[in-house]
Amino acid sequence: MKFDQPATLNPIDRGRVIGIAHDRIDGPAKVTGTAPYAYERHDVAPNAAYGWIVGSAIAKGSISAIDTRAAEAAPGVFAVVTHENAGPLGKGEMNTAHLLGGPRIEHFDQALALVVAGTLEQARDAARLVRIDYAREEGQFELAAEKDKAVKPPVSWGTQPDSAAGDFDAGFASAAVKIDRTYTTPDHSHAMMEPHASTAAWLGGRLTLWTSNQMIAWAVKELALTLKMKPEDIHVMSPYIGGGFGSKLFLRADAVLAALGARAAGRPVKVAIARPQIPNNTTHRPATIQRIRIGADKNGVIDAIGHEVWSGDLPGGGIESAAMQTRLLYGGKNRMTAHRLAVLDLPEGNAMRAPGEAVGLLALEVAMDELAEKCGVDPVELRIRNDVQYDPEVGPKRPFSSRKLIECLRQGADRFGWSKRNPKPGQVRDGHWLVGMGVAAAFRNNIASKSGARVSVDGKGQVTVETDMTDIGTGSYTIIAQTAAEMLGVAMEAVTVRLGDSKYPVSAGSGGQWGGNSSTAGVYAACMVLRGILAQKAGFNAEDAEFEDGMIKAAGKAIPLKQAAGRDGASAEDKIEFGDLSKRYAQATFGAHFCEVGVDMHTGETRVRRMGGAFAAGRILNPKAARSQVIGAMAMGVGAALMEELTVDTRFGYFVNHDMAEYQVPVHADIPEQDVLFVDELDDKSSPMKAKGVGELGICGAGAAVANAIYNACGVRIRDYPLTLDKVIRSLPAA
Amino acid sequence: MSVRFLLDGEIVEITDVDPTSTILNYLRYRLRRTGTKEGCAEGDCGACTVLLGELDEGAETMRWRSVNACILFLPMLDGKALLTVESLAVDGKLNPLQACMAENGSSQCGFCTPGFVMSLYGRTIGASGHDLPVADVVAGNLCRCTGYGPILAAGDGIGKLSRDDQPTMVALREMAETACAGGVFEDRRWFAPRTPEALAGLLAAHPDARIIAGATDVGLWVTKGLKTIETMVFIGNVAGMKAIVEDEAGVTLGAGVPYADAHAAFSRLHPDLGELVRRIGGLQVRNAGTIGGNIANGSPIGDGPPALIALGAELTLCSTAGRRTMPLENFFLDYGRQDRQPGEYVESLWIPRPAPQDIIHISKLSRRFDSDISAVCGAFALTVENGLIVRARIAFGGMAATPCRASGCEAALVGKPFAAETIASGTIALAGDFSPITDVRGTATYRAEVAANLLWRLWYRAQGEDISVLALESSHG
Repeated sequence: MKFDQPATLNPIDRGRVIGIAHDRIDGPAKVTGTAPYAYERHDVAPNAAYGWIVGSAIAKGSISAIDTRAAEAAPGVFAVVTHENAGPLGKGEMNTAHLLGGPRIEHFDQALALVVAGTLEQARDAARLVRIDYAREEGQFELAAEKDKAVKPPVSWGTQPDSAAGDFDAGFASAAVKIDRTYTTPDHSHAMMEPHASTAAWLGGRLTLWTSNQMIAWAVKELALTLKMKPEDIHVMSPYIGGGFGSKLFLRADAVLAALGARAAGRPVKVAIARPQIPNNTTHRPATIQRIRIGADKNGVIDAIGHEVWSGDLPGGGIESAAMQTRLLYGGKNRMTAHRLAVLDLPEGNAMRAPGEAVGLLALEVAMDELAEKCGVDPVELRIRNDVQYDPEVGPKRPFSSRKLIECLRQGADRFGWSKRNPKPGQVRDGHWLVGMGVAAAFRNNIASKSGARVSVDGKGQVTVETDMTDIGTGSYTIIAQTAAEMLGVAMEAVTVRLGDSKYPVSAGSGGQWGGNSSTAGVYAACMVLRGILAQKAGFNAEDAEFEDGMIKAAGKAIPLKQAAGRDGASAEDKIEFGDLSKRYAQATFGAHFCEVGVDMHTGETRVRRMGGAFAAGRILNPKAARSQVIGAMAMGVGAALMEELTVDTRFGYFVNHDMAEYQVPVHADIPEQDVLFVDELDDKSSPMKAKGVGELGICGAGAAVANAIYNACGVRIRDYPLTLDKVIRSLPAA
Repeated sequence: MSVRFLLDGEIVEITDVDPTSTILNYLRYRLRRTGTKEGCAEGDCGACTVLLGELDEGAETMRWRSVNACILFLPMLDGKALLTVESLAVDGKLNPLQACMAENGSSQCGFCTPGFVMSLYGRTIGASGHDLPVADVVAGNLCRCTGYGPILAAGDGIGKLSRDDQPTMVALREMAETACAGGVFEDRRWFAPRTPEALAGLLAAHPDARIIAGATDVGLWVTKGLKTIETMVFIGNVAGMKAIVEDEAGVTLGAGVPYADAHAAFSRLHPDLGELVRRIGGLQVRNAGTIGGNIANGSPIGDGPPALIALGAELTLCSTAGRRTMPLENFFLDYGRQDRQPGEYVESLWIPRPAPQDIIHISKLSRRFDSDISAVCGAFALTVENGLIVRARIAFGGMAATPCRASGCEAALVGKPFAAETIASGTIALAGDFSPITDVRGTATYRAEVAANLLWRLWYRAQGEDISVLALESSHG
């Protein structure tokens, strides 16, 4: 199905199953611990051996000698895989560094060997016996030091590094009120709960891989490139994924090494990347330096807005596109954005939840707070004044498909009690706490992506949906079941959803908050075809047929679905393909975050006391699952504001705090009650579902609301994240 | 010798025990019970939470404890009962708690979920820490998906669940009679003595043996540090090591008392001490980690010692040569070096009960409020008589290579009136007591400044200000 015209009234609009809060259908499997994750497939690979990864102890250089004899002789060891015996390997297009390094070493903890043994303990023990001599080379590890050498990167993923409209320099120079500030954000780690893990088994020249990956089709393609195989000889399954947040978008070392280890050991092998290896072996969100300049009139109406971003990555890597939202969020006729990329020899930078916006808004939305204060305009009102209903770089000819930022700001402010905020910092005391409130806009691009599905009805009226879509905790199983139930007029209980298998039709996968809307639209497309088949079988005109209560109804007649399907059942496969609506219309999701914090006047400790948000993201397919996504993302935003930071050892080029003790993610004591409001919205230009992404919107701006609340509480404006207690106290007025 | 434990009512026997194999790996890779997850392998995330059951002293009652299976070694299972997430649903029917969590959307990616299930299940059946609020029971469980609210709601939405532990207790009593005393595995020896005499004898014979109580620290040496430990003495079954004796003079704690068990007694000594204990690790860590272990490992950032030093605790060490008792602060000689002689073990700790007029203030400062290592932990105990400070004990963690007293500050306070001027001079003296370092938990400047501010905090609190760190009352709406 081609989606190239705005959606009209369709079966989804009935809203009998779609749009209803439904418990996750995978909930029981998860609360009982019976959902099988990639490392646990003893049922299909009962004799799997265990692999342990040996990572590089240097950041840049090469292996001068590698001696695996002692490890090979250790008890229980079946094989040791290194670059010397792995055979010729290619490289995927989506990972920057090689997933098995050597002799060149591109980053610290890059996998250099895999030890395969009968037990995990044996593999781990023997891994210590692999002797590697290094030829170490100097590397660049500090973004600030390399900033001036950063260059304009090539277009990547369709993203132009620079943009401009009007005359920024002239507009900014002549503005009545100016903000010119630089903000920094550190490297972030996804810290999903399930470490990267894979189990691999070979049958002849064919590879089966049970893994934890957000994008099944990408995994097949990249694995084929890496192992120099035909894609059709690779079967990838990933039905349950213990969190991803972008860390599992791409093929990683666990998958490649499990496959190589299994080939070398002649038996199935499973490999997990140990938690302390994850931050340096895998990807992270790169640090940024961001300069924001805003020129406005004395009422805060923006005339000129500029956002420049510097980030670093390995040679061949990409940018952290933190200025993207600045191209679309606020009006102003004179505009510029620019991304510059420095070469750093740190581990590979790549996507983490809401790449670009998550850290871009940490800067932009604080700059807006600074502008509001300078103009003496309420920060909510300031954002309303600068709302724009079209792409401000292009003009009114490219309107937003739907944009309810103002509604989010107004409704969110009402619910939160924003009117009680004292605009002057440091005025509200609660005992030893200095109390303040902050607001930030939420913005995340809406991406729709081709997605296929196969839907079948059997002779008993049971519906099965198959697609290689993944559920990384987002609720894909449930919203896909809801979609099929709505389209075919059956109960949720009559629908079985099978996901995450490369034998199923290729879907959009999970990432960039494109999965929910795109994959359900793919199921919609397949269901439309199936409806036609079933109607025809029932002798009805497809356009007239109503599907409800397990029946197909038309012309005063009703035939049970199972009867129409017949004893052999009926099946249809289709995919949704998106035309140029996303070019003709700017498509994005919007929201407003509100936050109240207390800052301890003696210690600089910040406690988030309340959070609230209002969000507009098209049709909310399952309010319960969507709320979960949003509040979880808000919590991650609090982490980015207050604690999350990979600390770089600039001497040796690695992340020092590479575990869950020292890379801190919020615990529940850091997260207060979170109030979420979804503003009514249907986006007919986004998909037949009229939905948009919602999985990443919640992190966008959440941390800035915290930062702005801290400023309102105590008058301390910190522009270097995270806003830790030592930075706060440094600027606190004397008690 | 084999290790035996009870799993879902059945005795499981492990022969050829690798003494540093973890309970988690045994569950997942030997028994194929993969519901229990490995998130971090170092006791930080709680995805591996299981319940361990053991008989109380006297064997009349038993107690369940939530623990992190990822850093407990197999010998620690001997003679205990184990419940995992697989133990809960019967014939595919969800336990009421599991049903409540599924309804509340307490699970998203599902990987942390079994750990939360077990922490909350423990609370419903009266396990150690069951009287804590739901939030405290799951403080040691990390979730990256949900924002926690739906999990806490499920915990609040479920009442007590009945559980018949009689058959378990019968089996535990039987197993106790044939407890495993130790073994050898690939040249590595391990012992599990039952009496203090046996412990002292073992340590005399093997002075280099590593003593393991709760393994919340030593466990990481293996799972993360990848160290080999040659000789181990597990002291979890030594009689009398878990005794808590409270009287008017104070509290005596056996070195093997887990922090969770000491929590109530500590709160009775002073509420600040109870609040501090609440923020030491998560409940799983406090259920395993012991007072003696926390002291004996000599960490400069252990949270127990500064408070215990300020309160005037005395430490008793024991060996075949006899006992010696010292002020706790004297035990810490230098970074990584304690005054424990070969063959000695930490036997007990005595903490005097503060007088009602004593002014006590204990503060733990960390980036996040739970499951974090302190940037600074400060503890103050002042005795004020007739407006004069007659005694001051002030100790800090995170300010030096060991937990230690702020002697200059103490000297500046003693003999002076309890007044703002005295506090001010105390903070000046305090600046000379320490040269803290800058690290990821805080800068040297921060540490120095906040240490002084904690003394001010004590003053403001004495003036009637509420200084609770976790108060959440909102001033708005």
